[in-house]
Order: sequence, then structure tokens, then C-alpha cells
Amino acid sequence: MILPRKSKYYVAAFALLGTLFSLAPLVIQWANYTSPIYAFENSFVVDKFSIILKGLFILITYLTFLLSINFIESDKYYQGEYYYLLLSSLLGALIVSSSRDLLTIFIGIELASTPMFLLSGWKKGDRKSNEGAIKFFLLGVLSASLILYGFSLLYGLSGELVFSNIASYLLSASLASSPVVLLSAILVISGIGFKISIVPFHSWAPDTYEGAPLPITAYLSVSSKATGFVALIILLTKVFAGSGSSWGIILVIISGLTMTLGNLVALQQNNPIRLLAYSSISQAGFILAPIAISGITGDYQDGIFASVTYLIIYAFMNLGAFLCVHLFSNYAGSSDFYEWGGVARKSPLAGVLTTIFFFSLAGIPPLGGWFAKFVVFRSLLGSANSIGVALGVVGAINAVIALVYYARISKVIWMDELKSVNEDKIFQFENPLKVVGVFTVLITFVSGIFPGIFSYLGEVSSIFFGN
Amino acid sequence: MELFTNGIGLSAVVFFPLISAFVITLIPKAQEQLIKRFALASSLITFVLSAILLFQFDFSSAEKLQLGNKISWIKSINANYEIGIDGISLPLLVLSTFITVLAIIYSLEHLPEPKSPKGFLALILVLETGMNGTFVALDLILFFVFFEIVLLPMYFMIGIWGDKTVRTVSGFKNQIETRLYASIKFFVFTLFGSAFMLLGFLGLYYRGNKTFSIPELIELGTSGAFTGTFATLVFAVLFLGFAVKVPMWPLHTWLPDAHTAAPTVGSVLLAAILLKLGSYGFVRIAIPILPEQAKAWAPAIAILSAIGIIYGSLACLAQTDLKRLIAFSSVGHMGFVMLGIASLTPIGINAAMIGMVAHGVITGLLFFLSGSMAHTYHTRDMGRLGGNMKLLPKTGALLGFTAMASLGLPGLAGFWGEFMALLGAYNPLDGLNTTVFRTSMVAGAIGTVLTAGYLLWMLQRVNLGEPSDEWSDKDLHDADIYELSAWIPLVILTVLIGVFPKLIFGATNDAVIAMLSKAFGG
Repeated sequence: MILPRKSKYYVAAFALLGTLFSLAPLVIQWANYTSPIYAFENSFVVDKFSIILKGLFILITYLTFLLSINFIESDKYYQGEYYYLLLSSLLGALIVSSSRDLLTIFIGIELASTPMFLLSGWKKGDRKSNEGAIKFFLLGVLSASLILYGFSLLYGLSGELVFSNIASYLLSASLASSPVVLLSAILVISGIGFKISIVPFHSWAPDTYEGAPLPITAYLSVSSKATGFVALIILLTKVFAGSGSSWGIILVIISGLTMTLGNLVALQQNNPIRLLAYSSISQAGFILAPIAISGITGDYQDGIFASVTYLIIYAFMNLGAFLCVHLFSNYAGSSDFYEWGGVARKSPLAGVLTTIFFFSLAGIPPLGGWFAKFVVFRSLLGSANSIGVALGVVGAINAVIALVYYARISKVIWMDELKSVNEDKIFQFENPLKVVGVFTVLITFVSGIFPGIFSYLGEVSSIFFGN
Repeated sequence: MELFTNGIGLSAVVFFPLISAFVITLIPKAQEQLIKRFALASSLITFVLSAILLFQFDFSSAEKLQLGNKISWIKSINANYEIGIDGISLPLLVLSTFITVLAIIYSLEHLPEPKSPKGFLALILVLETGMNGTFVALDLILFFVFFEIVLLPMYFMIGIWGDKTVRTVSGFKNQIETRLYASIKFFVFTLFGSAFMLLGFLGLYYRGNKTFSIPELIELGTSGAFTGTFATLVFAVLFLGFAVKVPMWPLHTWLPDAHTAAPTVGSVLLAAILLKLGSYGFVRIAIPILPEQAKAWAPAIAILSAIGIIYGSLACLAQTDLKRLIAFSSVGHMGFVMLGIASLTPIGINAAMIGMVAHGVITGLLFFLSGSMAHTYHTRDMGRLGGNMKLLPKTGALLGFTAMASLGLPGLAGFWGEFMALLGAYNPLDGLNTTVFRTSMVAGAIGTVLTAGYLLWMLQRVNLGEPSDEWSDKDLHDADIYELSAWIPLVILTVLIGVFPKLIFGATNDAVIAMLSKAFGG
């Protein structure tokens, strides 16, 4: 922001470099890792779990910047503030993944989501953008107050802020499965439920996604969601583990509803952004499922492994999907994807990318999405619990329903006739966007063909739960 | 030839087409000749590799899994890259590489609209990787991945190069092009089956010492590790996954649509190889791992197969569309294959194996011929065709020959599968309900009569008679060199298998007997 206006270009470059450099300490930490490091009286931790998630958040932000460069320059948007706000949100996400006390995690969650209220209304002249931002803001405030209320109950009960102290207090006072703690858990789930857009807290998502600038939508559907899930995983396993069987049931129902509702509504959409919004709601149901079951069975390690693996694969393939939507809606100048008939012929590269990302979201091997779905099914059936199996069946049916709308985009761009208005336009595929495409497609393929790279996560989630 | 004994040769057969497909995508679109030559060369190399496997394969111990390897793949879930072939998978693997070569030869000059050889040939090669991989995979997860890989190329083949006729489909408000409806229907049906199949695989994994290895699971299964409701449920979902692919009545409805809409080469590959993935799944996975359940389900499978045979033939009698008739005939023929499998006897399953190969060769050829005729006449309506022998003598003669083979004329390949399946059903495995099986056998026998009926009627309508006037001033091309070089090998193979069925039984017999004696004792 302190740079003069004419050097706006440097802002983007600086932000990109800064994010990239911030990966360096992570790599060093990973290389020199011996055991979890605690700071600030156990309220902040650096363990392998948090290092991996930090890496994920930084990469997502980096790719979002790349997506943004041309977009931001294409119109009179504020540049400095844009990058600054995104970086603030990143900082929040980084804090969440390491936080081990109520205050830190709350600050992290809010720091991650508050900048998004502004960014989602960045298209100032656009009514939809304003509407979406207002909705997002109002519900965001509500969600913050729900989380705070949940936390205040915990603090009131135990007088402690640090998770490990709260958990041991609840255990020693045999309050771990008391109604008050359960109420607190429900409040926290509801509050974070808004961030991760699970049913019935999902209603803001399609409107906000539609109104926000596209890179921000991508960031919202990936990073904000991941931040929310990480916070939820940490809170549920570190604080509320004792009442797992109660919130487990609630989450199982929510998860089944989220998958199904998201899918059924997505089937009706003709706007690609709204389609991806509902698809991301449905995907959230899949990410939630292993956590829900692990609450019932108490096998958190397997649940966390499945959810985090899903989150990582989902993040990259969904970013890729947004990239493709961005390319084609720019090209066809229409936000109704039925107008995109045959556009893949104008850019086979973008067409192939679209096909890969959308079928990966549908979970077709050998693309990464299949392994994500697979680990979820694995943890559901591994519970040897009839609820888990039932949720698995619901998931399997949903995977088939989802195929219908994921395949539809590929169908339109490859199989329909090219609209005459689109015949003479030149397809724009800028270099920063190509980087995003190549990077995400590589991850999508590698994670589908060599899912062995996720093996370390199994060990990591055991480290996470071991302390 | 050490390369072929440690699994590298087998892996090459699987992945060489995929690598070639990737290379093709890098060749500029304008270099059409280069693309075509490259695709042909790579499919030939793959076929040669599989032929070398044929010589490396030790037929004296065909029941053993050979030429394979096992490498750790996904450690965290104990899934391995485990491959190998035995007498059951070898004929199908060679069939797959062989048909792919012919499909590419045919495509050199006969590409469906919109031409674009680059995309089309690349998709065929990706498809080949999926098919070959399914036949060599010995790990359930690996099997699942290959089983699914075939979906995407076939979806795009039907959807992009398929039939553009507009039709009304119940449930759709507007009229829809056949190809669009058929492609998504094919995809959704198959995925529906395989999504549940995956749940079944996971069930086996958790009950079976956390392994996905098929040989290990067979050991566990035959020693009685899977019992009770659990085993019933797992067999049910595996059945669902495989039966959709076969397809068995009443899960067959995607097949006529997909076949009718697919481009010629797509229909050929679909009929010749893709349907076999389902019946192969029964022989390789469902029966040996869950023998008791297979026994319990066998009567039901036999009844469904018998219904499929009768239903397929009756539906054929009602068709006016040549391609759709052949598609329904597939339902009937695969009914014989499944009837053979359901009998759970060596003779029945050998019949199924030879039936699969014969159906691949014969129906593949029928789809080639009908596709080529549809291209020449611009119609598949049998009411308008007629006098084909006079208009296109070569194609007509081949059509006559293939129809005879398809109706099971002794001396040609189609005979053994039908005849022996009925024989197997007459005398099923001890303990199976003979009344059910003999009733199915009678139904099957009636089916053979009906099959002869509709094929001869089809020949009468298409090949014989006088050509209608609408063709008199048209310049109709008979089969050219590309078509003949794709078809003649299939004709030769039909005769060879018909005269020397030992070509197939020599490989399958020991493997089938070993599998059955392990599963059911004795």
C-alpha cells in the first residue's frame, strides 16, 4: 500500500515472492523435525500436521494470487489492499493450524474470514457482489458469535483456555459428556458450519460465490473451507473428544444431508459458479463424513487421515475447476454454461483441463478425486459400524448423482455445437493462469496415480493425536 | 527374455498404449498422417508384446499366475501393483490387443464425423490401457482403477463421434441427440455398479486381513473367511458392479443405446472387450473369493441369464435398426456366457471363456460390417436396405458368414460357447437345483432357435431381395482395403476357433478346473 500508484505491478510480484519465500521456513522445519514444539504455554504448536496444512494454505494463496493478477488488472480494482487482505486471511489460516487454545483459534478463524467479507464485495458496482457480501457478512458475524458462545461455556466450566487443560479438566470433573459440553460442541459446530458451508448453514455460499470476484470465490471454496475444517478437527478431537458419540451422530446426519442436498441442487444449475458452489457443499459432506464416524468409533486417526487427504486433493482440483470456469466464461462472455457449446475446440488445452478437473471432482480414476473418495469410503466401512456403512451407501449413491452434473460441463464444451458468436473470438490463456493449470493438473494426476504420497499423513495424524 | 518373466513385459502391454496416447496429444493436429501411423505402430507393438507373452507363457501350468510382479503401490492402505496372467486372462488380453489393432486399421480411413483423428486415436489407446490393465490386475484397487479408466474414453467416443440423430426420450422435456443421451446413460449405469463394487472391495479388505490382493483373498475365501450376511451383501454389490457391465437383464438397458449411438469402432470395442470386463470379474473375483455365495446365487444368475437370452432374441425380432439388432443380440450372447458361468462346472466356465472370445470376434465383426453399411447407405433401417448382396457383394458375403457364425453354426467359433453352456447347465455343480438349471437350459435352447430366426430374417431383409430404387443412382462403395484388412483377420479367427477350439481351451481349461476345485473342492 505504501508503493506509489504507478508501481502497482510490483505489488503482485512482491506478494507472490513473499508467499513463496514463506514456504522456506516450513521446508526447513520439516527437514529438522524431531518432535512437536510448543510455544506460549502450550497454546501454539508446530507439529508435522500443522506444517503440512500451512504448506497447503500457502500454496492455495499463491495459486489464488496467480489467478488474480490478470483479473485485478482488467478493471479498476484496488490492488494493494486486495493482496494485503488475502495475505491477512492466509495469516489467519496459518494461526488456526497451529493453535491449541480458545483465544488463538478464535483469532485465527476470524482473521481468516474477516478479510473475505471485504473481498467478496470487491466488485463495487455489481449488485450481486454487494448482496453476496452482505449476506456473507451477516452470517459471518452470527457464526462468530455462536463460536464465541460455545467457547464461553467451556471457559465458564473449566476456567481454562488451553485445549489440553480444558480436556483434562473435563475428564477429571467427569463432565466430558455432559449436556453443557455437548451444547458447546453444537454451538461450535454450527458456527464453523457456516465457514465450511454444511447444511443447514450453507445458504450464503451460492450467492456469495456468484457475486465475489472469481479468484476470491476459488479461495473461499478452498482455503476458507479448509481453515474451517482444520479448526473443526482440532476442536472436536482436542476438546470435545469425550462427547464424540453424541456429536458424531449429529455430524453423520449433517454429512449425509450435505452431500445429498448439495448434489440435488447442483443438478439444476446452469451457472457454473453456482454449480461449483453446490458441488463444494456436497464435497464438504464427504470431507465431514470421516470425522463424524470417528466421533462415534473413537478412531480419530483414521478419520483425520481421510478428511485431510480429501481436503488436500479437493483443494487443488477445485482450484483447477475454477480456473477453467474463469477461462471459458471470459471467453464466451456468458455465465450460463449451456452457452459454451463446443468452446473446447477453440482451446483443446483448456478443454482437456476442464475435463480432468471436473471428472476428478466426480471421483473417476486415475484422477486424484478417486483416492479422496476412496479414503472416505475406507474410513466409513472400516468403522465396521452400521451407521458408517449406511453413510457409505449414501456417499456411493451421491457419487453417481454428482457425475451427472460434473459430466455435463464436459459434454457442453466438447459435444455441443460451437455457437456462431464464439467463432471468431481469440481464446485468452494468460501465462500466470497456465502455471495454475499445470500445477493443479500435476497434483491431480500424481495424487491419483501415486496416492502413496499421502502415506505420511497417516503417520502425521497419529502424531497429531498422540499429543 | 528375462524382461518378460519379471512383469516388465506385462506392464508394457498395459502402459505402452497410454504413453503412446500421451505422445499423440503432443503431435500437432495438422500432421494427420503421422498421428495415424504412430497410433497404428503403437497398437501393433502392443499386440506383438502380447504375442511374445503368449510364447513366454507356460501352458503346462496355465492355472498358475505367471509373468507378473508385485510392487508396493499405496502403502498406507496396503494396495499393491500386483499383476499376472493365467489361462483365464491370457486369451482375453490377447483378444484385447488384437481387436485394438483392427480398430485402428479401420479408423485410418473411416473416421466418423467430426474427423479429428488425434483425439479419436488417443482415446482408443487410453481405452486399451484400461482394458489390458483390467485383465492383468491382481489387486482389487488396481482392478477398480483400470475398470474405471475405460469409462472416460468410451464416454467421449460415444458423445463426440456418436450418432447425431435427434430423438425423444421419455423423461426429457426436449428432444435430445442419441449420442448425448447414450453416452451419459452408459457412464451413469456403469458408475452406479462400480461405486457399490468398491464398497464391496472395502468390505473384503476389512474382513480379509486388510489385503486387496486377489490371490490372497482367494485363499482366505476358500478357507471360509467370508460368511453370513456380510458375504451375501458383498456378493450382491460385486454382482451389481459386474452385471451392469456384462450386461445382464434387467440391467442391460444402457447397452442398446450405447451401441446404437457409438461410432463403429466404439461399438466394436464395446462389444468385443468392454462387456467381457464384467463376465471376467465374475470368474476372476466374485466366484473364487466368495464360492459359497456364488453357489447360493447361481440359480438366480441362471434364471436372469435365461431371461436375458429369450428377451434379447425377442427384442431382436422387433428391431428395424440393424445396429440395434446386433446390440440386442449381445444381450442374448452374453446371457449364454453368464449361464455357463452360473453352472459353476468346468464345462460351463470353459464355455463362458470361449463364448467371450467368440462373441468378441463375431460381434466385433458384425458391428464393423453394420457400421460400414450404415456409413455407405446413410441409414440403418432394415426396411430400406435390401439386396445388399447385389449392391455390396463383399460386405454382403461377410455379413452372411458372420451371421452364420453368430447363430452358432457348428464349425465356427460361436458354436462352442452356446453348445457347451447348455451342456453345463444341464448338469450343474453338485448341490445346485437341477430343475432351475434344466429349465434355464431349455430356455437357452429355445433362445438358440430364436437367434437363428432373427439372424436369418435379418439376412433376408438386408442381404437378399432386390435393391430398392433409391440406391440405383447412388455411387455405393464396397469394402476397401482398410476395411478388408480389419475384417479378414476376424473371419480367419472365427474359422480357426471353430475348428480348433483347443486354441482357447488349451489355455483356459487347466485354470478353470484349478479355480473350481479350489473353490468347491473335488
